[in-house]
Amino acid sequence: MFSLFDKLLFASKGINSKREMLLDKAPEGALKQFLSVPFPDKNTAISDIDILAVDFETTGLNAKTDKLLSVGYVGVKNGLIKLGESEHQIIQSDGRLDKDNVVIHQITDGEKANGDELKAVVDKLLLAMAGKVMLVHYANIERSFLQQACIELYGMAPVWPIIDTLVLAKTRLERSDTPYDPHNLRLANLRASYHLPAHHEHNALNDALATGELLLAQMQHYDQGLKTPLKEFLL
Amino acid sequence: MSTELADIHDFIKAIEPFDQLPRDSIARIVRNISICYVRQGEQLPPAGIDEPMLYFLRKGALAYYSGNDELLGKYGEGDICTVFCSPDEDFAVKVIPEEDTLLCAINCAELKSVISDFPFVHNFFLQSGAQRLKQQVSKINEEALLTSTLMNTSIDDFYHGPAVTIDKGESIIAAATKMTELNFSCLVVMDEHGLAGIVTDKDLRRRCIAQGLDFTRPVSDIMTENVELIDHNFSAYDALIKMTSQHIHHLPVTKNGVLAGMLTVTDLMNQEGLNAVNLSSTIGKAQSVDELAKISKLLPKLQIRMAKLGSTADHVGKTISALTTAFTNKLIHMAKEQYGHEPVPFAWLAAGSQARQEQFAHSDQDNALIISNDMQPEDDAWFKQLATFVSDGLASCGFIYCPGDVMATNAKWRQPQRVWQQYFDSWVNTPEPMALMHSSVFFDLHCVYGEVDLLAQVQANMLQQTQRNTLFIAHLSTNALKLRPPLGFFRDFVLISNGKHKKTLDLKHNGIAPIVDLARIYALSEGITAVNTIERLKQAAGTASLSAKSAANLIDAFEFLGMLRAEHQAGQLQAGIEPDNYLSPKEISRLEREHLKDAFKVIKTMQANRQTTFG
Repeated sequence: MFSLFDKLLFASKGINSKREMLLDKAPEGALKQFLSVPFPDKNTAISDIDILAVDFETTGLNAKTDKLLSVGYVGVKNGLIKLGESEHQIIQSDGRLDKDNVVIHQITDGEKANGDELKAVVDKLLLAMAGKVMLVHYANIERSFLQQACIELYGMAPVWPIIDTLVLAKTRLERSDTPYDPHNLRLANLRASYHLPAHHEHNALNDALATGELLLAQMQHYDQGLKTPLKEFLL
Repeated sequence: MSTELADIHDFIKAIEPFDQLPRDSIARIVRNISICYVRQGEQLPPAGIDEPMLYFLRKGALAYYSGNDELLGKYGEGDICTVFCSPDEDFAVKVIPEEDTLLCAINCAELKSVISDFPFVHNFFLQSGAQRLKQQVSKINEEALLTSTLMNTSIDDFYHGPAVTIDKGESIIAAATKMTELNFSCLVVMDEHGLAGIVTDKDLRRRCIAQGLDFTRPVSDIMTENVELIDHNFSAYDALIKMTSQHIHHLPVTKNGVLAGMLTVTDLMNQEGLNAVNLSSTIGKAQSVDELAKISKLLPKLQIRMAKLGSTADHVGKTISALTTAFTNKLIHMAKEQYGHEPVPFAWLAAGSQARQEQFAHSDQDNALIISNDMQPEDDAWFKQLATFVSDGLASCGFIYCPGDVMATNAKWRQPQRVWQQYFDSWVNTPEPMALMHSSVFFDLHCVYGEVDLLAQVQANMLQQTQRNTLFIAHLSTNALKLRPPLGFFRDFVLISNGKHKKTLDLKHNGIAPIVDLARIYALSEGITAVNTIERLKQAAGTASLSAKSAANLIDAFEFLGMLRAEHQAGQLQAGIEPDNYLSPKEISRLEREHLKDAFKVIKTMQANRQTTFG
């Protein structure tokens, strides 16, 4: 029989051994560099973890058929968001954008044409994320689009340790056994519930920052605060 | 870093004095920001921050407490917490979030390097509150000088529109009738092409009556053609130059080439001319109380105009007080015409704000009579008549009866000199807090009419005693300390010392009056005869009671508060509202709130000094 601790240790080893396995197969370049840095230990206090809050703007929800339009990210560590460690990139791509879509994310065809190449953007993101935990709100989108991009660019997709603020909120609500409207789990609504200010939605960097701020608030509401181990947060 | 952090950028840009910084500098600040979230009840600086930081409050509330847990202030969204950056915070302040709070933090040294090229912003953080206030007041004074000239005033502020016109075919008599009916000294004469000329009072006199011209002739016979025009975009100064160089008194004003109105030399003179000298001569010429009452209606207008032109509160107060004196003088003359000469010499006294020359329009009347000791009991009837006539007259002129009955109509305040001497002796020698509070108005007296010596002697005696009597000064101080400035502002509320919120700031009782009280104490302890607050502070500067630096700080605070009051009341007068002293924080900018807090701080410091001296 395994103790709970052993199970967690195994799980922790799991992602890192997967990483090592993938590292052997990875082509030279950004993906390999990303995989060569070990992921943080699950028992480390959240305050000591390097976190990268990430958000993507896309043309739709399907990673196979829809396009990645822009990425935004900002670093979080020790309860602080460092705005100096932030990035926002628009991805160059062909094809006209849907009018409805432009209204939402406000990226125009012109901006898109002047954007960076997908590879340059994903390379940079992977390097920024090396050794860190990815923070997103509703992981499915970012994970699937990033996986898809990696497959297209490097022929394979890596693994990421992820914190999902939506899942953290959902778990908390479910534990408290109070019925809730799934709508309450939207980023803007969750922020409001923590008395965070309204933010400029549908800009990848602003959304990443908004997610980072939400995590700051969520972390502070754990009994152990910033001393809570990483495993309590991981997806 | 990305330039896309629009939310944070806009947030910082909206906070004074950062609104003065260019985009690049704001971007540099944003780049250096760390965002943190602090839970209610924890203490700043938050865990993870070990360098001195300046905090911008994005959401939530911070409360400041002194070492012994006294609430010092509260801060809300858009406020800045400088406690950990400021050089003049020598006492330990505890900063505790009252709600879960989201903060943007920037390293103090980093911030200083960003703002070092912008003296205005830089000084804001480097200077002490008193220094900042001083700078603001001198800026206001400079602006007052600049704006009081016609140069900076647009014609728009002066001309009357639309211009009154008459067709050129109409008769001279029709023109004269129209001018009389409308009380205009000038008409614009129109033909089918538009403006053909103007006809003025002077034209009627010189070109018609003096020439014996038939009144039924068309008005075009006597009009002035080739009229000078002026576009409304010109300054009042340009208009004045044009009028004086062409020897004309009327200028039609055009807007986009279309006749918009008429500017007369009188309109322009009113800028400088609606002043005390002009008005007081009008007061002197008035024949009846009704006429005086009519003239008194100009007082609020004068106050509005002075405030709009950026006059200092000191200037406004002196002007309005001088006019009240003129009204009182005139009323005394009228009374004497009605009731005959005074049986014995007397001095009519103004008390309180009028005596201090700090009066604003619509204030109460506070007055008293010192009568010669030669007065016989039967003489009082005459003085009672005088007091009633003047007091009623002042009331007709908008100076409401004193709610505390400090008026010469009250027998208690209509007494021979020796009784006044006794009053002062007892106030000074057996000071009783309640009595003192009511009578402190009598420590600010000014002789408006009559025998100045009657008052001067009483005052000289009184000052001799107050200088020696520390118990009296102590009692006066205790009273003065009852009016305290608030702690500051929190969101759109005024924060008072018990942590409660009020919607408005009572500029008079929580700002101006405490300084007036302090100045009175310094004057009485140092034997200073002046009653005007600024004058008292200037004279007390450098004495044992008041250091030169503190005096300068108090004067700055007093002028700033006075200016806010003048502006606040000008706004109310203009809106046709009875002016008051209740300023809503929403009326003023964040920067003005900062200056107000600086002023409160100056007052609190000086009050604390009094307390330790006589506590």
